[in-house]
Amino acid sequence: MTGDPRLVDTIESSQSREIFWDKDVYDLELERIFGRAWLFLGHESLLPKPGDFITTYMAEDKVILSHQPDGSFRAFINSCTHRGNQICHADSGNAKAFVCNYHGWVYGQDGSLVDVPLESRCYHDQLDKSRLAAKPVRVETYKGFIFGCGDADAPSLEEYLGEFRWYLDTIWEGAGGGLELLGPPMKSILACNWKVPTENFVGDGYHVGWTHAGALAGIGGELAGLAGNRADIPFEDLGLQFTTRHGHGFGVIDNAAPAIHVKREGWAKYLAETRAEVGRKFGPERERLYVGHWNCSIFPSCSFLYGTNTFKVWHPRGPHEIEVWTYTMVPRDADPETKSTIQREATRSFGTAGTLESDDGENMSSATHVNRGNITRDGRMDSSMGAGFEGPHPVYPGIVGSSFIGETSHRGFYRFWKEMLDAPDWTAVKANDNTWDSVFTNREYWTDKLDAVE
Amino acid sequence: MSVKQISVGPDVQFAIETHYRAEVRLWQTGQYREWLKDMVAEDIHYWMPIYEQRFLRDRRSDPTPDDAAIYNDDYGELDQRVERLYTGTVWMEDPPSKIRYFIGNVEAFDAGKDEFDVYSNLLVYRNRRQLETTVHTLGREDSLRRVGDGFKVFRRKLLLDARVTQDKNLYFFC
Ligand code: FES
Ligand SMILES: [Fe+2]
Repeated sequence: MTGDPRLVDTIESSQSREIFWDKDVYDLELERIFGRAWLFLGHESLLPKPGDFITTYMAEDKVILSHQPDGSFRAFINSCTHRGNQICHADSGNAKAFVCNYHGWVYGQDGSLVDVPLESRCYHDQLDKSRLAAKPVRVETYKGFIFGCGDADAPSLEEYLGEFRWYLDTIWEGAGGGLELLGPPMKSILACNWKVPTENFVGDGYHVGWTHAGALAGIGGELAGLAGNRADIPFEDLGLQFTTRHGHGFGVIDNAAPAIHVKREGWAKYLAETRAEVGRKFGPERERLYVGHWNCSIFPSCSFLYGTNTFKVWHPRGPHEIEVWTYTMVPRDADPETKSTIQREATRSFGTAGTLESDDGENMSSATHVNRGNITRDGRMDSSMGAGFEGPHPVYPGIVGSSFIGETSHRGFYRFWKEMLDAPDWTAVKANDNTWDSVFTNREYWTDKLDAVE
Repeated sequence: MSVKQISVGPDVQFAIETHYRAEVRLWQTGQYREWLKDMVAEDIHYWMPIYEQRFLRDRRSDPTPDDAAIYNDDYGELDQRVERLYTGTVWMEDPPSKIRYFIGNVEAFDAGKDEFDVYSNLLVYRNRRQLETTVHTLGREDSLRRVGDGFKVFRRKLLLDARVTQDKNLYFFC
C-alpha cells in the first residue's frame, strides 16, 4: 500500500483535510512515520545518574528509558513478556530492576528478564528467560537529547537530523554548555490531530499576531508590535524560515530570544555574555540565530520555542487526540536562579495554563473536528504563503524562506510526511536524498536577492 | 501549616466560608479585577505544583516553588493573567465560556496574628461552545489574613488530582 497521492500536493502546496481525520491515514502514519522515525524520548538531565529512569511514549507505545550502570541509555517497551501487563507505573525514579505487578517477573535496567517467581518449582527451570526480554528500541543521543527508534533500518540519529544539526548545534551546543531539559513535564489531553500543533510550531509565524494579540499586548516589549498583524510591519526584515530534508524546520524572529519573558534579566544576560563565543565558533549567521526566537519542530512530533524555551512532545492518541508533554529548556551552565526563572516564564506563557498556549487550544481542536462533516472533509487546506520566495541559500543549509511569516516550513514538513507515507522502507526514502528539494523551484531566489542587496 | 492546629470558632468559620462564596461569585461572573484587588494580598504566592507519579519507596522530596509548577505567580504575574482576559482579543472566550465552582470541606485553623490556615476541596465544572465540558478536582491550601472586615489570601497552593489534565488548558482561577 502506498499513500494516496492527493493527500499532499507539493506543487500547489495544499493538503487534503483527510490527513487530520482519516483513521487509515493515521494507521499508515503509525507504521511508516512513528514506527520508522527517531522520536524524542528525553534528555540526560531528566535521568542524570545510573539507575535513573523515566517512563514515556513513542507515539502510542509506552517505553521505559533507563540510565545504565556504564553510563549509556537504553529503552524498552513497557510491557511484560508474560501476559503483557504494564511493567512500570512511575513517571521517574531510580531502579536496578523493574517488577511486573501481575505475577512478579523481574526485568533488569536493560529490559532483560532476570528473575521470575517460582522458577524452579513451577517452571521446572524450563523457562528460557533469554528469549523473554522486554522488547528493546534503538536509543541514540545528540547533545544530551535522547531519541528512540523502532526501525532497525533507519539511519543513525545524526543522519536523521542531517543538515538540521547545523542549526541545532547553534543552541544545543551554543557557547559550550548547551541546553538541558527541566521536568517533571506537564501533561494534558488535547482533542486534535498531532500534526496541527506540529505544523503550528514548525512554521506558523502568521498566527502569532492574531491568535495571541491579547497576550502579546499584556507582555509588551519586542513582540507587542506583532499584535493584530498590522500591514505596516516589515515582516521581511523580521527573520527567516527554514526547512530541511527530513522535515525538520523552524522560523526565527531576529533579536527576540527572550521577548516573551517578562522577568528576563538572567536569561538576557546569559545570551549577551555567550553570543560572542557562539559567533566565534559558528560564525555571524549562526550568532544571528542564537539571539533570535525560534519556533521549531523536529519531525515528526517534537516541538520547541528557543528563547521562550518551552519544549513539547505531541504524543498521538488516534487521529483526533494527542497527549501533550511540556518541559522547559535551559542552558546547562546558567545559574540556578536563571534556570528557575526561565522555567517559570516558559510555563506562564506556554504551560497548561499558559497565557499564550491557552489561546491555541481551540485552533488545534477545531481544525481537526470540523472534518467530522463529510462535505467539509472533502476539501483541501492551503499552505502556499510565500511559495517561490524561498530556495537554497549560499550559507544556510536546507531551504530558506524570506520571512518568519510564511509557510516554507509547512511545505517542507508535509513534503517529507508525504515521502515517508509513500515509501515502503528507508531505502526508498534514501533514494530521494539528492532530489528532495526539487519541489522548491526558485533555485536562484537567494543568489538574486543577495546580489540585489550588494 | 502548623502541626498542632487550633480550629477557629463558628463565627470565623462562617466568615471564611462567606469569603469563599463571594470569591466564587466574582470568578463565575468574570469580575477578575475586583477579585484581585479585594481578595488577594500583594504579597501573594499563587502556586500549582506539578506532582509526578512516584513509587512509595522514592525518597525525593515534594516539589518546592523552585521546581516545575503550572502556576508559580506573584501579584504582578496574576495581574498579567487577569488583564489578558479583558483585552477583548482572547478568541476562545468570545462568546465566553462558563465555569462553576463547588467548594467543600472548608477547615480553618488559627495561625495567630489574625492569620488563618484553610484547607478546602474544589470541584470545577467548565462548559464552552456547544458541547465541551470538562471537570477538575483540586485540594486547596490557603493562608488568609484578616484585612478590615474581610480576608485576603497571601499563600495559595493548588493540588490537582489528575496527573494528565483532560482539558485544553487550566486557565481559570481557584
Ligand atoms: S504479566 Fe507480568 S508477570 Fe505475568
Ligand atoms: Fe500559538
